[in-house]
Amino acid sequence: MSIRWASSWPELAGNDSRRAVETYLLERFGIPPAVLDEYYLFERKKGWFILGKSEQVKNGAHLKVSKVGLRAFRKVGQFIKPTTRFIQAFGRFATKNIFQMDMTQFKTLVLTGEITVDLALEKGYVILTLEDGRILGLGFYIHGAIRSQLPGKEIRESMLESFCTGE
Amino acid sequence: MVDTEPFHPRIICPVNTVFEIYKHIIPDFSLFQESLTKPFPVHLRMNRLLAEPSKVVSALRKNGIVITRVCREHDTLYFAEDLPYPGNLLEYFLGHIHPQATTSALAAMALKPRKHALILDMCAAPGGKSAHLADLMENTGFMVCNDLYANRQVSLGHTLSRLGVQNSVVTGYQAQEFPLRQPFDYILADVPCSCEGRFRKTSEITQYRENRRKAQLPDIQKKIILRGFDLLKNDGEMLYATCTYNPAENESVVNFLLKERDADLLPIHLGIVFEPGLTEWNNEKYDKRLTRTARFYPHHVNSVGFFMARIGRK
Repeated sequence: MSIRWASSWPELAGNDSRRAVETYLLERFGIPPAVLDEYYLFERKKGWFILGKSEQVKNGAHLKVSKVGLRAFRKVGQFIKPTTRFIQAFGRFATKNIFQMDMTQFKTLVLTGEITVDLALEKGYVILTLEDGRILGLGFYIHGAIRSQLPGKEIRESMLESFCTGE
Repeated sequence: MVDTEPFHPRIICPVNTVFEIYKHIIPDFSLFQESLTKPFPVHLRMNRLLAEPSKVVSALRKNGIVITRVCREHDTLYFAEDLPYPGNLLEYFLGHIHPQATTSALAAMALKPRKHALILDMCAAPGGKSAHLADLMENTGFMVCNDLYANRQVSLGHTLSRLGVQNSVVTGYQAQEFPLRQPFDYILADVPCSCEGRFRKTSEITQYRENRRKAQLPDIQKKIILRGFDLLKNDGEMLYATCTYNPAENESVVNFLLKERDADLLPIHLGIVFEPGLTEWNNEKYDKRLTRTARFYPHHVNSVGFFMARIGRK
């Protein structure tokens, strides 16, 4: 039986919309579509939200909501842009377009917003990780450089200092 | 003129007399008073939703951060005595840690929700306890995180996102008027309170200011606890919690519930020292079952003063 969502809920993404997101994740990052099988995908304006599937969800569908699940993607121009929080949670499933930074590169990226790299990549988003494998979020690769897409207000210089201490 | 400020100072006490009214109910009162002169230690909760606690602990220690486990029973709770700003750590941005008073973290642990359950957090902002519940449920089931105020819903949403919570929605109902249509398996009622347990006499604070609305709080708390209970499934469980020592906001509110509804108090097992709830205060006698509630004092747990009652149906 289909769930009757209250009007405050975003729309459930249609098949085409869902397929577009899954295809993007697979083609750009190698993230298999099955990763999203266990999630409802909602859509509002230019954003997509994921909510874990559960028998319980129908019991809250009548409620007036102000936020649903985790904001996972935004439409930016022609691109689907995963959010930092989505990539931090799901980036581990990616197999390509991952850029591992050393400490100097990380510092440069945060302080200047860009690092020059020589990668055989197509223009688009790349997953940024540290050498120890921790997933930071996204960068945008274009013209031989990666531009930071990390949330500037949340990444602080002090984080670099604390991270650098152990080097 | 309309009073738009939610809280205003009403009573201002010199710090050396603060909480004297609790002299006869707080054990080792001089030690309690002494504990108030020390600043709060930073407490961290490791967030299993995004990282393995042991790896996070290793990463923090590698960066020279001294952290010690709060107790043997809980591998996600740590003190970080010399860490002034945990929000400046990379691990905070990554959602691997959440600065949260140990006693606050104990609330979700006392409720101990099973996986795939339906949960309501009635007064959820800023979201640390909600995220902890999602962590304990491993992001399964469905959780409704409610908070009346729009600005608090924003901070709630940020906390849930940063900590990788994927099983929740945010709602904005008045807690005491939350719709009754659907009963829940677990309910957390961490109600608005006078926050006495958060007070410390530091060099910057020379006076204790009591909330003007303190006298009104028990009425609101009683309405919330009744609504919470009415929203429980027959086999459901609710945790009522405050961060105050004030019996009028703690035992008295729970006692009111026991009188008004067919409720019972369930034992609390946490592996951390606490005192049993009171059975009388200010000539008011409470139900004997109130001894099953828990009072946490800063001189015992080096954290925020806290109260909790685990509630089920008879």
